[in-house]
Amino acid sequence: TEKKTTLDQALRGVLGDQIVSTLLTAIILTPFILLGRTTLTRLSTCADLLRRLSKSQNTVFCGRIQLFLARLFPLSEKSGLNLQSQFNLENITVFNKNEQESTFGQKPAEEKEDGMEVEEGEMGEDDNPAPCSIPIDYNLYRKFWTLQDYFRNPVQCYDKFSWMTFLKFSDETLAVFKSYKLDDMQASKRKLEELRASGGEHVYFAKFLTSEKLMDLQLSDSNFRRHILLQYLILFQYLKGQVKFKSSSCLLNDDQTTWIEETTKLVYQLLKEIPPDGDKFGTMLEHILNTEENWNTWKNEGCPSFVKESDELTRLWNLNQDNMEACRSESREFMPSLDEFFAEAIEQADPANMVEAEYKVVRNPNYGWRALRLLSRRSPHFFQPTNQKFKSLADYLDSMVSKLAKELPDIPSEEIKTGEEDDDDNGDNLLKDSNDSDKIVTNQQMDDIAAKLGAQWKTLASHLEMKAAELREIETDSEDVEMQAKLLLVAWQDREGSQATVENLVTALTAAGFSELADNLNEA
Amino acid sequence: MGPVELLHMSVFSQSFSPCGRFLAAGNNYGQIALFSLSAALSPDATTRSQKPVLTFTAHDGPVFSLVSADGRLLSAGNGEVSAWSWSDLIKKNVRALWTRRPKYKSSLEIPEINSMVLQPRDNSLVIGGGDNNVHILDLEHGVFKSVLQGHSDYVHCVSVRDRESEILSGGEDGAVRINSRLCKVFCARPQYGKWISCLTTDSDWMLCGGGPSLSLWHLRSLSPTSTFPLTGCQRQAAFHQDMILAVGDGASVSHCLLAGEVKAQIPCSPQSLNTLQLNTNSSEHQVLTVGGSSSHIDVFTNLSYRAFSLSF
Repeated sequence: TEKKTTLDQALRGVLGDQIVSTLLTAIILTPFILLGRTTLTRLSTCADLLRRLSKSQNTVFCGRIQLFLARLFPLSEKSGLNLQSQFNLENITVFNKNEQESTFGQKPAEEKEDGMEVEEGEMGEDDNPAPCSIPIDYNLYRKFWTLQDYFRNPVQCYDKFSWMTFLKFSDETLAVFKSYKLDDMQASKRKLEELRASGGEHVYFAKFLTSEKLMDLQLSDSNFRRHILLQYLILFQYLKGQVKFKSSSCLLNDDQTTWIEETTKLVYQLLKEIPPDGDKFGTMLEHILNTEENWNTWKNEGCPSFVKESDELTRLWNLNQDNMEACRSESREFMPSLDEFFAEAIEQADPANMVEAEYKVVRNPNYGWRALRLLSRRSPHFFQPTNQKFKSLADYLDSMVSKLAKELPDIPSEEIKTGEEDDDDNGDNLLKDSNDSDKIVTNQQMDDIAAKLGAQWKTLASHLEMKAAELREIETDSEDVEMQAKLLLVAWQDREGSQATVENLVTALTAAGFSELADNLNEA
Repeated sequence: MGPVELLHMSVFSQSFSPCGRFLAAGNNYGQIALFSLSAALSPDATTRSQKPVLTFTAHDGPVFSLVSADGRLLSAGNGEVSAWSWSDLIKKNVRALWTRRPKYKSSLEIPEINSMVLQPRDNSLVIGGGDNNVHILDLEHGVFKSVLQGHSDYVHCVSVRDRESEILSGGEDGAVRINSRLCKVFCARPQYGKWISCLTTDSDWMLCGGGPSLSLWHLRSLSPTSTFPLTGCQRQAAFHQDMILAVGDGASVSHCLLAGEVKAQIPCSPQSLNTLQLNTNSSEHQVLTVGGSSSHIDVFTNLSYRAFSLSF
């Protein structure tokens, strides 16, 4: 029969897993609204299953079904919540209360109660019951397991007499925990290694094993102690906490509150002493219990939905469905017009206003950057190439400002520096033919320079960017150095065309080291 | 026994019955009380079960030592040794089988007997007393066989190494003598004094302490192997499995490892402890009992916490 039970369980396990995983997949993939009637069917199936299965024997399967049910409902679905903070009153812990129930010498006819660990050797194999081989501390045994009833039904604590018993028994139990310190680190480390090596599965018992003979072993087990101490903490949290559905008689008096606080400290201290990693465990527990407070508050408020609804957000969202369209709308056009932006600069450029250079707004780098951007968007002047080299952004802007001043109708722009006009004209050279004889080097000027250059015309040649081939041609053309110089200048003029300006020649002369000639040319 | 007497009571000695179901304890008033362990350990024990089943006055002076042998309980008090039959006592029949007194030098002053131990090999009782001597009583013939002299002050405690027929004695003079040959004096803690109040052996090992720290000695080489950092003076120590249990000043039983580390100190009810006994006579009543400066005797079913107390 044992074999059959094992097989049966195994089969149930496998089937159970498959059923649950199929259902779960189906549920996850289907949007909740569509479930409708099929949900009810599944619900009733699950409920039936749970009723038929034993929680202590098919713990994992029952757990999976319950998890599945939890997934089925949205969080705010009231039928899935324990709104009234009820306790599972049916979870009773059984233990030997008197000698007749003692497992020692139990005859086989007696019924075996759920959760009791009975040694097979003693069940009806002898006629004479085997005596117990170790001394049992019945006093502690009974008091210890009686405590479980308080954990099962905490409301009892509010009754005066029950509370006194609870107090007394708890003090004794915790004194034992305090006296009996778990510190055999060498042994427990070895055991942990062994467990890990064997790939030890986590051992789980649905109910406490309450045989007297196990008491000593249980007391020396870290996990067992952690269970009990955690039960205390949970109980204290309930007793102290505000729960909407507690009756008004469920209040603690001062003595009780003081005792609970002191005992909570003791419990945490005991937890921290339990190896391994007692400290971490204690801190983690504290954190988890604090989080529980939030859930408690949530229930007190009637489990409000976590989905937030706000009118304001809805209005804002509905202003424009399409974000890109919204960005393109006219009202988002923030770029100023040229006259708006440059009005101040133009006014400052007017010498009549006598604004000192350092106070001009064009010197402000922030203004300058914005000015450049605006010019790039709105002004054709930005894109006109110019030979003029500007020492700074401010200087460039000065020239731009003067150009704009001429164009913009509103702003008076008469007395602007003439130097800028020259530049202006220079910039326009590409657009129209330049007939300005001031600029182009005249024949007369070239003759003068050639005469003065003489044999040094080759030095100037490199600065006029003449090719070696051209130089050889000039040399063959004439033997007279003056003539050669003249030929050089003519060749340069031919090549440059409208760019054969005085200024360019001056630059070249200065660079070649003929500063005197350059100055003479300039003055002419 | 009025409340004041109870308050001033000290338990000096304990001994378990051969069947292991009873505990005899001797106090400073010369009384011996018999407790039923089976009643106290049973599932339906009450506070009444923690009271003695029998109390009687055995001697005029305090009962410093109790030893059980051959179905007899031997008690020491006021310079004399009395023998009682366990079966008689269990039946509550109080009748001393015999009483003997060692030969003391002077008959004026009667020295107390501090410690007794059985030497099974030749069925003799080793007695250490206030007259600085160790007397050996032949139990078969009831005659004092010999006297070991050598201590310069009274003998606190005696122990035997049966295989080697050696008798160890520790005394107020701070010396441990083996067969009255002097051994070294050692591990001193001058603030407490030099007296040796506890001595116990286990084949090749010896535990001794008192004024000096409790220390473990290797007898062959007569050298100390470890010292236990316990505060206060230890009055009785025992080897148990791979641990050492020690009691003395301080309201706790110390568990020590052989290497010298103090593993645990389990709190007890008496403020200081005089006697520690492990019941090896019965496995179902295998408890540790300790008694000291109180009328309560603490019982440990699990060595790590006090289960309950028996009281006079």
